[in-house]
Amino acid sequence: MRDITRRDIFKLGAVGAAVIATGKAFSSQALAGDIVEGGKDFSPKTGVERTMIPSSCWSCVTRDPMIGFVEDGRLVKLEGQPNSIRSRGKICAKGAAGINQLYDPDRILYPMKRVGKRGEGKWKRITWDEALTELTARLKKVRDDGHPEKFMFHYGRMKASSSKIVKAFLSAYGTGTVGNHTSICEGGKWTAQELTWGAHYDNWDFDNTKYVLNFGSGVLEAHTNHIPTSQRLVEAMVDRGVKMVTFDVRISNTAARSTEWVPIKPGTDGAVVLAMCREVMEAGLYDKAFFPFIKATDNPNASTDEKVAALKAHLAKYTPQWAEKISGVPAAKIKATALEFAQNKPACVISYRGAVAHYNGNDTERAVQMLGAITGNIDNPGGRCHGVGAKWKSPKGPKGPKAKKLKILDGFKGAAAYPTHHSNHQILKVIKDGKAGRPDIYMWYCYTPVYANGECQENIDILKDESLIPYTVAVNAYYDESTALADLILPNPSYLEWWDWEDMVSPTQVPEYYIRQPFVKPLGESRDFKDVVCDLSSRLGFPLGFNSAEEFVKKSCEMTPGIKAAGGFDFMKKQGVWHDPNAKPKFDMYKKKVKADALKKAGVIFDDATSTYWNWKKSGAKSEAEAKQKGYTKTKNAYKGYVGLKVGNDVFAGFKPDKVNKSGFFEFYSELLKIKNFPALPTYVPIPEHEKMGPNELVLTTYKVPVHIHARSANCKWLTEIYHDNPGMINTETAGRLGISDGDRIKVKSEVGEITTTANVTEAVVPGVIAISHHLGHWEYGRYASGKKAPMAGDDDPDLKLKWWDTYGVHPNWIIPNKLDPINGQQRWMDTVVTVKKA
Amino acid sequence: MSENVNVGRRQVLKGAGALAIGAAAGLVPAGKAFAARGNAPRWGFIVDLRRCTGCRSCTVACKAEYDVPLGAFRTAVYEEVQGKFPNAEKQFLPRLCNHCEGNQEDKIPPCVKNCPEYPKDRRVFNTADGKKIRYRGGATYKRPDGLILYDNDLCVGCGKCIEACPYGARTFNKRLIAGKDASKNGIAKCSLCQHRVDQGVAPACVNICPPKARIFGDLNDPGSEVSKLVKEFGLENKRNETTLLPAENTVPMLYYIDPKGSLTKLASAKKKFMGNEAWVDQIS
Repeated sequence: MRDITRRDIFKLGAVGAAVIATGKAFSSQALAGDIVEGGKDFSPKTGVERTMIPSSCWSCVTRDPMIGFVEDGRLVKLEGQPNSIRSRGKICAKGAAGINQLYDPDRILYPMKRVGKRGEGKWKRITWDEALTELTARLKKVRDDGHPEKFMFHYGRMKASSSKIVKAFLSAYGTGTVGNHTSICEGGKWTAQELTWGAHYDNWDFDNTKYVLNFGSGVLEAHTNHIPTSQRLVEAMVDRGVKMVTFDVRISNTAARSTEWVPIKPGTDGAVVLAMCREVMEAGLYDKAFFPFIKATDNPNASTDEKVAALKAHLAKYTPQWAEKISGVPAAKIKATALEFAQNKPACVISYRGAVAHYNGNDTERAVQMLGAITGNIDNPGGRCHGVGAKWKSPKGPKGPKAKKLKILDGFKGAAAYPTHHSNHQILKVIKDGKAGRPDIYMWYCYTPVYANGECQENIDILKDESLIPYTVAVNAYYDESTALADLILPNPSYLEWWDWEDMVSPTQVPEYYIRQPFVKPLGESRDFKDVVCDLSSRLGFPLGFNSAEEFVKKSCEMTPGIKAAGGFDFMKKQGVWHDPNAKPKFDMYKKKVKADALKKAGVIFDDATSTYWNWKKSGAKSEAEAKQKGYTKTKNAYKGYVGLKVGNDVFAGFKPDKVNKSGFFEFYSELLKIKNFPALPTYVPIPEHEKMGPNELVLTTYKVPVHIHARSANCKWLTEIYHDNPGMINTETAGRLGISDGDRIKVKSEVGEITTTANVTEAVVPGVIAISHHLGHWEYGRYASGKKAPMAGDDDPDLKLKWWDTYGVHPNWIIPNKLDPINGQQRWMDTVVTVKKA
Repeated sequence: MSENVNVGRRQVLKGAGALAIGAAAGLVPAGKAFAARGNAPRWGFIVDLRRCTGCRSCTVACKAEYDVPLGAFRTAVYEEVQGKFPNAEKQFLPRLCNHCEGNQEDKIPPCVKNCPEYPKDRRVFNTADGKKIRYRGGATYKRPDGLILYDNDLCVGCGKCIEACPYGARTFNKRLIAGKDASKNGIAKCSLCQHRVDQGVAPACVNICPPKARIFGDLNDPGSEVSKLVKEFGLENKRNETTLLPAENTVPMLYYIDPKGSLTKLASAKKKFMGNEAWVDQIS
C-alpha cells in the first residue's frame, strides 16, 4: 500500500462531515480469472481489509445466514454467507440495509418511563435497575395473586433460540396468555395445511421442478423463504427453461418475471384451482400412485377408483366456464394450464397470502394442496414438500406451574372453527369487550399491535385506555406507533447486536444449522431482551439455568451432536453455518414404513375410522376404554400420540398431524371440518361482501414491495429513499369509469374508515380493484419513516440533512377491518370493499 | 503483488483538443497505449435482463459499500409497465456506469474527455505477468483494464463530467469535498468496486445479486463467464441491441442480455440524461 491520501475532514456549508476519497493508490492484483464472488471486503477509502464476522439476518423470517464487515468498530457492510446451502452467498436489499436498523438515529438507547398521559410522548430516562425493579414488582404481584394469566406477552417475531429462551421465562412464570402475529401473516395457510398434510411449511423444490404454478405468492420479492427460493426459481426459469404461471391481481415483480401473468379477481383463486383439479381428473392425468395416501371420502378403506369417482363427482360443477365467470380468467387458459401442469412432472404449485388472506382462504389453500396431491407433486423432488429445518438441542428452563391463560387469543368465542395459529388481530377488540377477561400487564416484543393490524384507530383507542389495560410495556429498539403508547420501554438492540441459533427451512431438504452473533456491542444501554428475561427470572425467584443468550447458544452448540462434533460454539462463531455433508435430502417421508415394534408400545391402538395408529397415553384420554369409545378424531390432543397410517397391510409414517386430529392420510376429505359444519371436501365459497358490491365499489388489496419489510423497515434510509410513497393502483378502465386520472388525490373509504392518497392509474392491475401496499404511512418511527423525530432521538447521522423526501405514503390498515376466515381465524387482508372518489 | 503506481504528479499541459496527450510528455497516445497493454484484464460487465427481479439488492449493496449519501445513486434500477391490460408487462433495467471504451478515434469516453483535470499525473498499471503499462491519471481517467475511475484529489468539482455523460451515471456526492476546491462537492459514480476487484473480489452489486443478473469478469480470458456469454449472445457484435444509447458512440463495456428487446422498448433505456440530472432509484 502506498500513496494513500488521508486528508482531514472538511465541512461544507450545511452539509455534514465530508471525507476525501482517493481512487489511485490501491495495490492491484487485477489477475485475470481469479475473481471470487465474496467473503472479503475492503475499505474503498483506505483499501484496508474489513473484519469479517459471520452471523444471520433477521430482517424477514427467512433469516438468511450472512456475513458482516466491521471497520473501526462500526458495522459497514452486510453480505450473504458464501458457505450457506440455503442462501448461497446472497441476501436481499432489506438484508443489506440492516445496517440502517443498527444506526438509526431515532433508536431508543435507554430504558424510558412515561411521565405524561399515555401516548402524550413525554418520557423520562431511567436506569435498567429502576425499570426492572418496577416491572418485577408488577409481575410478582400478578403472579402472587394467583393470576399469572393476567400478564399477557405478545410477540411479532420470536423464532428459534429467541423463542426457546423467552418461552422458558413465560412458562416458568405460568402465563399462557401469549399472543403471536401469525393471523395477520399466513396463519390461515398453516391451518389449511394442518387439515390436509399435517405440520405446516411447504418448501418448494425449484431445483428439481419442471413447472411452477403460482397463486398469490410474491416469491421473487417477499416470500418467507425469499432469497433461498427466489434465486433457485430464476435459475430454473432461465437455465432450465422452466415455465412459471402466476395468478395475481397485479403485476408484482414475481408476476413480471414469470413466464405468464394471469390476472385474476381477488378472492377467486379457489375457483380456478378447483376447476384445474376438475380438468386434471377428467383428463385422467392424476397420479394413481399417490391415491392410496389420499382421503377423499368418509371411508378410510376406499379404493383408488372409489376416490377418483368421489372427486370427479365433487368437482363436476367446477367447470372452467364456471370459474371464468367468477375469476375473470379465460376458461381455455384454465384448462390449458391445468393440463400443462399435470403433464410436466415434477411440477410445483405454490401459494401465499394473495390467495389465502380471504374469507375463503382456507379452502383455497386446501384446493391448492389437492392440485399438488392429485398430480403426485407432494414431498417429491421438484414438488411441494414438507419443510426441513435444523433440530437443535438446547437447555430447558425450570418447570413452571400449569400455565393459566386468558381466552382472548382466538377472537370472540366460536368465531373461527380451528384457529390453530390464533386470531391475534382481534385481541384488542376482545380485551375491550372484557367478557373473557383483561390483562393487567400487556407486554409486546418485536411487534406493533397498533400499526400491524387493521382498524388502527380502534387499536390506538383501546391501547390508550388505562381502564382497559392498566400497564403497557414495549420491548423495542424503535419509537414506533405502539411504543408511543407504552408505559415502560425496554430498549432492545437490533438483531445485529444479539445472539441466537437459527433453524429456518432449507430449500434443499437438507437442514442447515446457523447462528446469529453480534457485530458490535449493543449501542447505548440497549439490552437483548433474551438477556433481560434471564435477569427477570432471577429477580422473580425462578432462575432459568442460563444467564444470557450467549450462554444458551453456547450450551446448545455443545448439546447438538453434529455441531459438537464439528467443533461446537467456537466452530460456529468462526464459520456461522453448518450442515451434515452426508445428509440426504428428505423427500417422500410419508412412504417410510413404521416398524412393528412401534405398534406394540404401551398405549398404541388402532382407530378404524381413520386407519390411524395412535398412542392414547399421549393424548387427553383418561383410559384406553375412553380413548376407544371417543375415537381418534374426537379425543382431545389425540394427534400428539400419532404413530402411523395403515394402508392395505402396511403401516406408513403417513402425513403426521399437528395441532389438530387429522388422520395420517393426506386429507381432501376432512372429518374435522365436517364436524364443524363446513364442507368436508375443498369447496368454493364466494366472499359474502363481494357478492353484494355496488357498481362503484372496489376491492382493496394490499401487497409488499421488494425493498420493505411488513411494518418494520420505514426507518431504514436506504430502503425508504427508494420507496416512500404508495399511491393506490387502479386499472385504467376502472379509473376512467370513476372519473379519476393518474396523480389525482383520492379518498378511499371502507366500513371502518377513510384514507386519502394518490391514484396510480395503471395497466398493471385488474379492473375493480385498488391496490395499496403495506409498509408506509407511519406517523411515528423516526425521521426517515415519518418525518417525526423520536422523543429520545439523537442526530448522529450525516444523511439526516440530505433526506430529500417529505412524503411518507399512506397506511391501508386504517380502513381494513379486523375480520377473520371462519375456519382458521386468518385476517382477511384482501377482502375489504371500498368506495374511491376524487378528494 | 503488483501495484498501480503514480509515477508523478507533474502538471501536464493539454494539447489542442481534449483528447491530445502531449507527445512531449513521452507517452504514446492513449488509444495506442491501450491497444498495446499486454495482459491487462479487460473487465466486462453483463446485466442479464432475463434474471433481474427488480429487487434493488444491488442498489442497497452499493449504498452500503460506499456509504453513498442520500440523493445519490451509483447504480439504480428502472422499472416500467408497458402494454395494455391484460397483456401488460413490467420490465426492469438496472443501470450503472458503462465504463465506456470511448469512440473509435480517440478511445476516450466523454466524461474523461471533458474533464479539465485530465490528463494529469503519469501512472503505471502493473499486469499480472509483470508488464508495466503506462497511462495518464486525472480527476477522471481511464485505467488500462478499462475501468473509468476518478481521483478526488485532483477534482475541482466543476461537474463537466456529469454533464458529459449521456447516461446520467455521475452525480455530485454531497458528503464529499472536491479535492481542489473546498467550496465544491466531489462526485459519486460507479467504480466497479475497483478496491475489491484489485483484491480479486467481485463488485458489491455482483456479489449480492440474488438471481445472478449481474456478471463480471475478464473479457481477455476466454474461459470467463462474461466471455462465454459475450460469445453465446453475440454481445460485442450487436452493440445496437446490447448496449445503451448506441448512437452516442461511447462504446460501453456494459452489455445487456436482452431477448425481449427491452433496450429498444423502454423509455428509460432510450432516455438521454443531460446536465446535472441524476439517477434516482424509485419504485412507483
